[in-house]
Amino acid sequence: MESKLLSEFYHLDDFRTLAGYQKQGGYQVMKKALAMQPQAIIDEVKASGLRGRGGAGFPTGMKWGFLPKNNEPRYLLCNADEGEPGTFKDRLMMERAPHQLIEGMVISGHAISSQKGYIYVRGEYHYPISVLEKALKEAYDAGLLGKNILGTGITFDLDIYAGAGAYICGEETGMISSLEGFKGQPKLKPPFPAVKGYLHKPTIVNNVETLAAVVPIIKDGAAAYRKYGTEKSPGTKLFSLSGNIVRPGNYEVPLAYPLKDLIFKEGGGMKPGRKLKAVIPGGSSAPVLTAEEAEKTTMDYENLTAVGSMLGSGAVIVIDDSQCMVDMLGVLTHFYHHESCGQCTPCREGTGWLNKVVHSILDGRGRLQDIELLLKVADNMKGRTICALSDAAALPVISFVSKFRDEFEYFVREGHSKVKGVRHAEMHH
Amino acid sequence: MPKCTINGKEVEVKEGATIIEAMYGKSGNWPQGKVAHYCWHPALSIAGACRLCMVKIEGNPKLQIACNTTVTEGMKINNTSPEVEDAAKWGLDFHLINHPLDCPICDQAGECGLQDQYMEFGKYNPEMAERKVKKHKVVDLGPTVVLDSERCILCSRCVRFTEEVSKTNELGIFNRGDRSEIGTFDGKPLDNKYSLNTVDICPVGALTSKDFRFRQRVWYLKDSDTVCNGCSTGCNIKTYFNKEGLFRVKPVYNQEVNGYWMCDEGRDIYKFVNRENRWQKAMKHSSSGWEEMAPGAAAKEAAFAIKSAGANAALVLTGQYTVEEYESIVSSFVKDVKSKNIFHWMNMPEKAEEFDGLLLRGDKNPNTKGLLGVLKKHGITTKWSDLTAGIASGNFKTVVVAGPEIQVQFPDLKEKIKELSKAPNLIWMQAGMNSDLENLSGNVWLIPMKSYIEKDGTFVNHAGLAQTFRKVTTVVSEALTLTEAGSLLTGQMISIKPEINVMVEADRLADRVTLENRKKNEFVFRRGTL
Repeated sequence: MESKLLSEFYHLDDFRTLAGYQKQGGYQVMKKALAMQPQAIIDEVKASGLRGRGGAGFPTGMKWGFLPKNNEPRYLLCNADEGEPGTFKDRLMMERAPHQLIEGMVISGHAISSQKGYIYVRGEYHYPISVLEKALKEAYDAGLLGKNILGTGITFDLDIYAGAGAYICGEETGMISSLEGFKGQPKLKPPFPAVKGYLHKPTIVNNVETLAAVVPIIKDGAAAYRKYGTEKSPGTKLFSLSGNIVRPGNYEVPLAYPLKDLIFKEGGGMKPGRKLKAVIPGGSSAPVLTAEEAEKTTMDYENLTAVGSMLGSGAVIVIDDSQCMVDMLGVLTHFYHHESCGQCTPCREGTGWLNKVVHSILDGRGRLQDIELLLKVADNMKGRTICALSDAAALPVISFVSKFRDEFEYFVREGHSKVKGVRHAEMHH
Repeated sequence: MPKCTINGKEVEVKEGATIIEAMYGKSGNWPQGKVAHYCWHPALSIAGACRLCMVKIEGNPKLQIACNTTVTEGMKINNTSPEVEDAAKWGLDFHLINHPLDCPICDQAGECGLQDQYMEFGKYNPEMAERKVKKHKVVDLGPTVVLDSERCILCSRCVRFTEEVSKTNELGIFNRGDRSEIGTFDGKPLDNKYSLNTVDICPVGALTSKDFRFRQRVWYLKDSDTVCNGCSTGCNIKTYFNKEGLFRVKPVYNQEVNGYWMCDEGRDIYKFVNRENRWQKAMKHSSSGWEEMAPGAAAKEAAFAIKSAGANAALVLTGQYTVEEYESIVSSFVKDVKSKNIFHWMNMPEKAEEFDGLLLRGDKNPNTKGLLGVLKKHGITTKWSDLTAGIASGNFKTVVVAGPEIQVQFPDLKEKIKELSKAPNLIWMQAGMNSDLENLSGNVWLIPMKSYIEKDGTFVNHAGLAQTFRKVTTVVSEALTLTEAGSLLTGQMISIKPEINVMVEADRLADRVTLENRKKNEFVFRRGTL
């Protein structure tokens, strides 16, 4: 079954231009949607069971339903601050199909009666930003954005905002703070953005892939979308395959696709002579899976939760037997220590503590009680903070240490990695 | 009014109150058990950053912070379960892993939120074995405050204070993660009229007052509450003192007057009270020059000058004394001296535009309203011009002045001294030293007065609120109160109770006894000031 709802034409170079996009039927769905009642679009998205593709997997229709029923101005923010290590699907979508995103945003904006949207793009994404800017101009020139879109009387303005390189600005309230011109720090919830978000007005924040997925849902209806995936995880999803694999890249497959097939069919399997050791299935924050777990699981929200991990942003990081898990964890703890915003104490202090402990082990100064300490610290960081960064930092630690404890113990006892020939990555402190 | 259950006890709370507000109680006595917290402050917005005030809410799988959770009907809250206690323990440990633990040289030691809460909620087996984060120390934030970033736990109270209360926005948190530090923008120091409140609300020793830094260990200080005499607001304050003198003043919560705050100006007032700035003997100038006298003797002697002037004696009052003192001196002046020449020396009249919207007021006298009340009661309606005219015409033979306590608030002091010293006899009562007065000639009596912390009394503030306060301590035992001086000046015979010239809190005689006993013990501190 052809499963490319989003990426069908990504191989066409002119798909990123308005003419090329329209050649493949672009903006026809928008025309249809603008003639629909906003509530009808929301109902369709609700019926499709589309879940947020940014990481949390929250049902999109339900999120839209949280908006208060009043006449306050409201904002639609597209979260393109793709910072989760291992994730690069939004980059591809913005580079190859900027108009798909714009079309999705106009439809979604109409659905939630918003007249203003922003695309908050990760600052390092210079090229996607330039592509988006070009596309935005084309859309404005063609009357597909702005006032009175295609003569329907509907207004939707769209702007691009480049972040300044902070992982935490991918958290929706952190992103709102950043967009407002403040330091990118998550805000206390409640109130939730749907009630009080950007500039204290009702705001919906959706991922690039989520907004783009609205297009095929409105095009063929919720029932057609539900043909893919499972009851709780309908539709297709782009997976960013990376790591020790033959063909890394973005692959769109239906949800509930076997992870094994994703690695060995789409990804071309392991490099010659290498064995699968572990897989991080949903971006660096997702707990790691052992090879045995990975071979059994399917890529959907419920199944990955059942094996103690999560689908996250769909970044599949494949780890073979040439990698040292202690070293890998060192890279991750370094990342989270660097990116913690510093607002909540457990995360601010805990990420630094974890990083120091792991690096003590890597420097050959580890103590056996450090292994237990890592678990204790991570356990006490989990669920104690404003946003999920603390959990994101703690979960990999817990999963790495508990699933690959032998490697950690070996490192502490011997002062070097269990995997032959591994020198650990030098981190800048 | 939703009802909820806190630690098994049913409590009714105010509509919209958060859990921590419900548990804090009306006066901060935590009737349902204390909740560990740093960033929450009843007068500031909610930051939710320290993550210490975790409570268990029945039906909620995760622990919730008490400061940002609104109480709903029937909510069952618990903060004594092992899970909650463990969260607080670890929360405190996270606060401490990068804290320098330099308590022996830290000014906050003894009144530190980290010390106190660790004693109560702490884990007691620290597991941090790594190097601590290095940050900036002795950062000069402005004219009043010094920052030690390593001690800072980033509760953001000070930042929120400058945002929400002083509305000056000088402070911010710079950098991120465990490299975060409090700081100011270049060229914009922490310099506002309320800056020292940031030191008060700082739960640790990160922000310290330049004035108080390294001057005393807090456990060598006694404290007592009184009312500030800096302006007509009448903030409730706590004075900290020992034998060496007063060391600092901090605000005391009173919702009707000052909330949790006080101004920096008010914190400086304690300095004039100290002995080195005070007259300790009365002085008399006559044809034979200056001579020192005991205050009581001087007052008795000066009484003759008043008696001889009779109805031609004039009394000048500043708004710096208590209602009781005014009542006593005014009534004896009217009754015994039979003079209604009583004048109000208005140094800074109350002006609406001088009120800064928070605490500082234009009228720099604590008791103008009280004085006006007493004058009105005695039917006195004099004008200052009458006094000037009376002195110029030689009508007023003797002028008695109850001079200012806080002389810096009297810009017209020099001028008034000149004006009033034209009278043949001048009797000037005042607490602090003044060289202009000491250089006068003619018949002059200078009588030392007790300051506001050395007497019981009542101040009536700008809003007409009468605040009665108790004596804090004695600084200059020889000095007189206005009541005592007034009685002696109007010829009444009173006996003045001798006071011990030691700055210990008036009510703590028992302490003094134990202190005497301890002095005999050779094992007690030889240094220090107890």
